[in-house]
Parts: sequence; C-alpha cells; structure tokens
Amino acid sequence: METTLLSLAHGFAIAFQLHNLWYAFLGCLVGTLVGVLPGIGPLSGISILLPVTFGLDATQAVIMLAGIYYGSQYGGSTTSILMRIPGEASSVMTCIDGNAMAKKGRAGAALCIAAVGSWAAGTFGVIALTVVAPPLATIALKFGPPEYTALLVLGLIFLAYMSSSSLVRTLLMACIGLMLGMIGIDNMTGHFRYSFDLIELGDGIGIVPVAVGLFGLGEILSTPSHKVTGEVIAPKFRELWPSRKEWKEAFWPIGRGTLLGFIIGIIPGSAHIISSFLSYALERRLSRHPEEFGKGAVAGVAGPESANNAASTGAFVPMLALGIPTGPIPAVLMGALMVHGVSPGPQLVTEHADIFWGFVASMYVGNLMLLALNLPLVSLFVTVLRIPYAYLYPLIIMFCIIGVYEVNHSIVDVWIMLIMGVLGYGLRKFSFDPAPLVLGLVIAPIFEQSLRQSLIMSNGNYFIFFNRPISAGLLAVCIVLLCLSAATFILKRKDWRDSLAEAEAGDS
Amino acid sequence: MTLRADHVAGAAFVVFGVAIIALSGNLPVGHLSMPGSGFLPMIVAVLTIVFGFALILRASSESGPFAELDWTDGKHALMVTAITAAATLLYEHLGFIVTMLLMMMAVLTGIERRNPLRAGIYCIAIVGVTYLAFVYGLKTPLPEFSF
Repeated sequence: METTLLSLAHGFAIAFQLHNLWYAFLGCLVGTLVGVLPGIGPLSGISILLPVTFGLDATQAVIMLAGIYYGSQYGGSTTSILMRIPGEASSVMTCIDGNAMAKKGRAGAALCIAAVGSWAAGTFGVIALTVVAPPLATIALKFGPPEYTALLVLGLIFLAYMSSSSLVRTLLMACIGLMLGMIGIDNMTGHFRYSFDLIELGDGIGIVPVAVGLFGLGEILSTPSHKVTGEVIAPKFRELWPSRKEWKEAFWPIGRGTLLGFIIGIIPGSAHIISSFLSYALERRLSRHPEEFGKGAVAGVAGPESANNAASTGAFVPMLALGIPTGPIPAVLMGALMVHGVSPGPQLVTEHADIFWGFVASMYVGNLMLLALNLPLVSLFVTVLRIPYAYLYPLIIMFCIIGVYEVNHSIVDVWIMLIMGVLGYGLRKFSFDPAPLVLGLVIAPIFEQSLRQSLIMSNGNYFIFFNRPISAGLLAVCIVLLCLSAATFILKRKDWRDSLAEAEAGDS
Repeated sequence: MTLRADHVAGAAFVVFGVAIIALSGNLPVGHLSMPGSGFLPMIVAVLTIVFGFALILRASSESGPFAELDWTDGKHALMVTAITAAATLLYEHLGFIVTMLLMMMAVLTGIERRNPLRAGIYCIAIVGVTYLAFVYGLKTPLPEFSF
C-alpha cells in the first residue's frame, strides 16, 4: 500500500505539470462537447481526435484521450436532461427522469445532481483503480498463452452475454471483427491474408477507420437532419443548486450507482450502458415512491449518471492491468497507446510507471475539472445545442476524414472508413450492435497468437487449456455463461435486455 | 412464409463465411501442433456460417418482416455517401481546403437546401479555422493542392 501511495504521489507530480493539466482540461472540455452533441459519441470522438495527440508524448496523449472519454459521459447527461436526446447510449436512462425534472422547472437541479453524482462516481472509480490495478497486473504477469486465450474467449462470451443485442447477433459481430483483424501479414508465417494486392493492407486494418466509420459516419448516414429536434430547455444559473430535499434523495442512489457501476465496468461488454440501466432498475425497486419514476424522480437521475461514470473508470482496470479491452472505447485507447509505442498490459505499471501513475493521478484532477466545467459552462453547452444539426454534420464528416487520414496519411484508410460507414448504416437497419465488431478487430491479433502458441506448446493437445488451473477456471465461467444464456432462451425468461427495450419504448 | 429481416441478414453472413473459405484457398491451415495462417480464419468463417444459420432459424421470433424495414433515410444516406466518396477521391489531389469547401457546400446546398450565401460563409469560416488550427496550432500537415 505504501508503494502504491508513493507511486500515486509521483503520479500527481506528473499530473500537476502545467502542460499535463492543460491537456487534461482540453480533453475534459472537448469530451463534454462530444457528449453534448447528438450524433457524435465518445468512441467516434476519441477516434477522430486521435491524430491530434500525435505531436504529444504518450502520457499527455492518454491524459487527453481519457479526458475526452469521461468528459463525454458527463456531457451526455446535458442533452438528455435539456433535450430528451441521449448524447450517447449510456444516457438513455437519464432522459426519462432528467427531462421530466427539466419540464417541472428543475433542469438546473437535475444537471447539478448529474454532475456531482458523476464526480463522486468518477473519483471513487479512480481510487478503486489505484488499489486494484497494480496487484492485478502482478498476477497477470504469471499468465501464459493458454491463460490469455481463455481470458479472451471469456471476454467475448461475457460481451455476448452482457450485450444489449442477442447472443447470436453479438457473436456474429465479434466473428466479423475477428475476420477483419486477420487481414494483412500473418506475424507467425509471413503470409499475406486477404489483402487483395493492396500494400496498405499489409499492416492490417486499423481500428480508427473502422471505429470512425461504424460509429461516426454510420450514425450520420442514418440520421437525416429533419429527425433531430432543436428544442432545448435552458436553465438559469441561479437555478443550478438543488434543494435540501433533492440532495437527500440523491445521496444513496449516488452511492449505490457508484459501486454497481464500478463492478460492472470491470466486466467486458457495453458496461456503461448496462450499469446505468441496472442502477435505474435498482433505484425504482428500492424507492418508497416507485410511481414517481418517469415523472421526475431525483434517484432516476442520480443513480444512472453515477453508475455510467463509475463504469467508465472501471473499464480501465482490465485495460491497464491485463492489456485487454473490455469494450470498443478502451480498445481505441489501447490503440492510441500502441501508436505512441506503449503496450498496455501487466508490464505497464513497472516499465512505464510515469505513464500509468501520471494517467491515474490526472483522472483525479480531471474529475474535479469536469465538476468545475459542467455547471458554470452550462449556458455555453446550451448555445452549442442550438446549432442546427444540418450545419453540424458536414463538420463532423470533415473531422472524420481528417482524423482517419492523419493516422497513416493513407487514403485507403478513408475508403475503409466510408465502407464501414455504409456497413454501420446497414447493421443499424438490421438491429446489430457494431461495438463487438470493433472489439473483435482489436483482440484478433492477440487471440490468434496466443491460441497458436498454446497449441504449439502442447504439441496440438487442446487439453492444455483445461490442465492449467487459471485457464480451466476462466473456461468454466464461459460454460456457465453459455448455459445461463441457453436457459434464458429455452425457458423464454425475460432478461435485462427485454426490460431495457421496454424502458426505451416507454420513454419514446 | 414471410421474408424476415433476419432471413436476409443471416443469409448475408452465410454467404460472407463461404466467401472467406473460398478466398482462403491458398492459406495453409496447418495441423493442430503447428497451426498455419489459415487456421483461425477457417474456424471463424465456419462459426460465421453456423451463427448465420442460427439467425435464419430464429428469424420468426426475433425480427420483423423485411418489407417493413424503414428506408426513409435511404436517400439521405445515399447522397451523403456519394458526396463523401467524391471528397475521398479528390482529397489528395485538390488538397484539404478546396475539397472540404466543396464537400461542405455540396451537403449544405445539395442535401440540406440551405441559403448558398450563408452556407458559403459558414464553410469558409469552418474550413479556414480548422486548417489554421491543424497546420499552425497542432503542427499537423494537411494535404495541399497537387495536380
């Protein structure tokens, strides 16, 4: 513990350097704007802005990109409360009671509770990350190829189990992602795979064109401007402070949402979406006045907002300690670190202590900055929300093209983005969630290498995965999850996905 | 029998899986003790086909009729795709400033039917500020005119 505190103090020394504070601030501000704007979520925001960090060192880059990530979680609540449009997917639950509070003249209070809840959850998440990640990284150093293979299989199964679409749909998307991840030169044999004589595809398909295409351009293609309403409820600055009764009603939901969100955040899947939904369901169940939910219940804002921010921080634990992304956003952040020559994983804590601890410490600072930013600047965000979408989306397309092109200065990447945009549009039409595709793409090289190394180690004996206790344990969890999923399907039981669909239908 | 959305999606995935197997002809699969470069692609392609069939089998309980899919945004999507494709084609030749001005103007006046004068001022301001921010602020070079 003493070592952790000393390392954290070193991290603060790095985070408090003026230029690092500046990049944390910039990340938080841009992230909040990304979260506020409909049609541009955290994933496309981070992907588009990735080239901006090329001139920075790895610590500054990851501080800024992480600021964009958790800033967008904060910003998403503003659009939900003031416009009843979720700025990004995890803010769907906040729309229900947040907007109802706004209609009752309590928009300012709803925004303040969302911001304070997000700050408390984010800060708790970073404290837990500080305590959990280093020991987890020490354990992960004992992992060999079979353990990594089993862990990645578990990640995919967990994602499928927890994803908001069905198991088959999620696994199909993961398969397509894995296939895309295998394009290019095979690292072990040097064979060119599916590159169709294009030299640019030799290094494989990058995560940025795929993520920007699927989530940025895909969203624009399926959102004509006449479908975006511009009605904003603008709160006055003096109305921002909640009443004593509202604080009292928010206190425990913030605590419960924080704990629930962090635990779910560590698990692979669309953690921040699931956590906000589960927190809402939990608060409604525990409330003495469940009939108030949907009509402006304070707990309906405080719980989900805290949960999705805690989940965002929780998602950093497996990414930093194990080098395994639990969702598409940590996957892009991992890609960003790799661009800067740093491989996330167990060695990060020891070999790149400056980056790890600087990043962790900057998150404490970033959360405070967001609290300070969100409330005073609410009128600025309202002004941004009033920009007609028709003027906004050509600007987003421009940033998509710049963002993708600048990574490798390759026009082939821009074509890939365009193809992925059309694919993303088609997938939305057929109700597929493209997030597992991005995850599949990122883990494909690690998965293939560890699987093949395991088989070579065991001379082709599959039992290597069951003979080693850690991999056997991880695979046992996979089997349990598959059985649970099969039971839900066979017994036609309602699971959280059906309840979420009902909540969204009720909301609309 | 009603043709459902998942029938079409499932069939597309089956075709995709078969195409991958066909394209993998020259990749050695190897054997279990020494898997080749075609080993995992083969497994994933087979899984894609299996899941594709599963989607088709469950189509009646999980998806609506294909004919009822809402394509009202199709025209918007097609036009934005065409304009973005044209911008991609011209980007390295006309450079950032000209391409982006043309692209944004095409979207604002062609798709959104906005006032050309207002749209023009907006485009020049946005493209100009972005160019200055990237080239001078962030020291990130953008493509220049090079015909």
